[in-house]
Amino acid sequence: MTLRLFKAAVAALALGAAFAAPASSQTFDRPVRIVVPFAPGGTSDILARLIAPKLQEAVGQPVVVENKPGAAGNIGADTVAKAKPDGHTLLLMDIGSLAVAPSLFPDLSYNVENDLAPVGMVMFGPYVLAVNPSVPAKSVAELVAYAKANPGKLAVANSGVGALNHITAVALARNLGIEWKNVPYKGGSAASRAVVSGESTVIINGVTATLPFVTSGQLVGIAVTGDKRLPALPNVETFKEAKLPLDDAGTWQALLTSGKTPPEVVAKLNAELQKILAMPEIQEKIAEQGGMVRPGTADAVKTWLSTNTKAWGEIIRAADIKVN
Amino acid sequence: MELFDNLLLGLSTALQLNNLVYCLIGVVIGTAIGVLPGIGPIPTVALLLPFTFGLEPASSLIMLAGIFYGAQYGGSTTAILVNVPGETSSVVTCLDGHEMAKQGRAGPALAIAAISSFFAGTVATVVIAVLSLPLAALALKFTAVEYFSLLVLGLFAAVILAHGSVAKSLAMVLLGLMIGTVGIDVNSGVARMTFGVPALADGLDFVPVAMGLFGLAEIMANLERPETRQVVSQKLRDLVPSWADLKAAFPAMLRGTFIGSALGVLPGGGAALPPFTAYAVEKKLARDPSRFGKGAIEGVAGPEAANNAGAQTSFIPLLTLGIPANALMALMIGALMMQGIQPGPQVMTEQPQLVWGVIASMWTGNLMLLIINLPLVGVWVSMLKIPYRLLFPAIVLFCCIGTYGISNSVFNVWLMLGCALVGYFFIKVGVEPAPLLLGLVLGPQLEENFRRAMQLSDGDPSVFVTRPISALLLGIVVLLLAALLSPAVLRKRKQALSE
Repeated sequence: MTLRLFKAAVAALALGAAFAAPASSQTFDRPVRIVVPFAPGGTSDILARLIAPKLQEAVGQPVVVENKPGAAGNIGADTVAKAKPDGHTLLLMDIGSLAVAPSLFPDLSYNVENDLAPVGMVMFGPYVLAVNPSVPAKSVAELVAYAKANPGKLAVANSGVGALNHITAVALARNLGIEWKNVPYKGGSAASRAVVSGESTVIINGVTATLPFVTSGQLVGIAVTGDKRLPALPNVETFKEAKLPLDDAGTWQALLTSGKTPPEVVAKLNAELQKILAMPEIQEKIAEQGGMVRPGTADAVKTWLSTNTKAWGEIIRAADIKVN
Repeated sequence: MELFDNLLLGLSTALQLNNLVYCLIGVVIGTAIGVLPGIGPIPTVALLLPFTFGLEPASSLIMLAGIFYGAQYGGSTTAILVNVPGETSSVVTCLDGHEMAKQGRAGPALAIAAISSFFAGTVATVVIAVLSLPLAALALKFTAVEYFSLLVLGLFAAVILAHGSVAKSLAMVLLGLMIGTVGIDVNSGVARMTFGVPALADGLDFVPVAMGLFGLAEIMANLERPETRQVVSQKLRDLVPSWADLKAAFPAMLRGTFIGSALGVLPGGGAALPPFTAYAVEKKLARDPSRFGKGAIEGVAGPEAANNAGAQTSFIPLLTLGIPANALMALMIGALMMQGIQPGPQVMTEQPQLVWGVIASMWTGNLMLLIINLPLVGVWVSMLKIPYRLLFPAIVLFCCIGTYGISNSVFNVWLMLGCALVGYFFIKVGVEPAPLLLGLVLGPQLEENFRRAMQLSDGDPSVFVTRPISALLLGIVVLLLAALLSPAVLRKRKQALSE
């Protein structure tokens, strides 16, 4: 009896769905998920949770954020790379990690170029180069002079072997002809902590994590990446002003989806993303993350990826950095 | 004087009606997830983060903090009743708490756990208020050198902690250290023993290993035995601990609170360190250490106090410096940032009502926990009456959900099930899995800090004895070792074993 009732209910539901389907001839017919390949609480996670409710209104389907941390973001990226290519599985991450992955991991389980399709850039967050107050340097020139006079004495804390701030530190040293130790930590906050305590002496890290220590005087700001000086640090010069290379290094957060997703679906997602990024409340929240909104096309992300994959790849090979 | 001003400011925030309600919601959710094995505060806080978005910053932090320390209360309940640690921090409570339950003293065990937690929570709140700034300054003095020495001390404590043969526990620590090397090496980026499996790149997750070894293995072992559990059907009168119990537990409570408060402040120490250390200390200080593992009330009071005190003082680095002491505090930073507050040393001066409000709410929250938990002890005890055929599948289900929820990983579920088989084998051959877990947790940190210390000192090992804090910690290790190897202690140990 109950079984028959159950069957009837299932049939009714299926019928309902069948009728509903043609009525909603939209692109999205089931819940959309945004995969964040890092643990909750980080920048990518916060951005995804910021965008999800807005995207939900736009596509008329529930949008859920799913954290899939592990293997430097490769587990989450792999999930999206292998998902059904219909735009229902999205990836939000720092695409710098995607640019270095092919050079760092020889047996990467997915192909960044073919298996992932960029939707659009979301934000750029500049890096702050800062030192422990025990280092007698207040500017780039003084830091370089000190490093040249004391080779191997400065220790640059990074967020892990092969992390972008590690590669940035390596590239800077090669370019400036200086020698410093690269000390790996488990993540950016452990690295900042170590420079505040004086265990290591130099840090190149995101604004959000570093700025509070600089404004409180526990770290001394030396330079920032990006186009212009930070409003919070008007006296700290930019990389460009100091004629340092890598003046656009930092965190580049972008939205991507599975590789074979039809172009019209990607275009629809990009259009919705642009609308969301134009909202003042979103821009405000992103500014609180120490970043700025980066509206733009999917192709712009594609170009960014291919340029940086090549550029970082050369540095990684030249410095012989390996994660395997 | 300033301290009173600060506390009053905090109380005025914490005692607002809406904040009291959010505090209550937090501690009730916390207790519930603490009781349910496998569902820890980290996935819960992560799940609730989006819901706190619309709340006032103070309210959201008060609620999230409530979940965290509420879980410490709840975690001990399942540890005592079914020998399944609801949280990793209550692993040690299983040892004597469950023994007490087996002897029909589940009520007093639960009550002592709740009272110890309340006592430690109250003291820790005062500790946070008084020592915030100086303690955070001390924690910042800890560099790789000091951490290495602290971890060496922790591992030695692990060997002493295990009951049974030193050889077996040494073997288990070593096994733990070895499986702790799985994953990509932090210092060199080399993948070790990952066999090309991406899920192994970050090493074996502690939670599924602990849940498999301690929780599921015990269930499997229980299934073998006929269902002759002592179903406790005492009146509430019997649930109240006797005067003698309280007298025995109080010094342990004090020591546990002290140990927990001190260890909680250290970033990266993790939830496991304070209760393990407190247990080792209690066992060391006891006139008759052989009672431990057989239902000693100090073995419940000390670790429970340490665990709650540690949970609360781990907020010190977060609130004063914006530095997360553990994964959960990292989530709290996420919650702050979602509220548009830059975590960091300036929060204390710019948002005093928030910082002191959260601190004061810990005391109101602990009071709520005591009030709602002591009467509920009866309810938890009645859980023992649930037949195994209903209880075990439910626990296994919750364990699977919880393990999956940590990082949405099916691999972790299989890992937990695999560890359950290994844990069952350990029970059959009579070895303690606790030292293995400690090796697994502390091993990677031990290696990381040692190699970092060496890199920074250009390979000069003398830093470990020339830096005062490190030298002191290593000195304690030497003393412990000497005590352990002294003929008197060896004789005593043999006596204890032959009993």
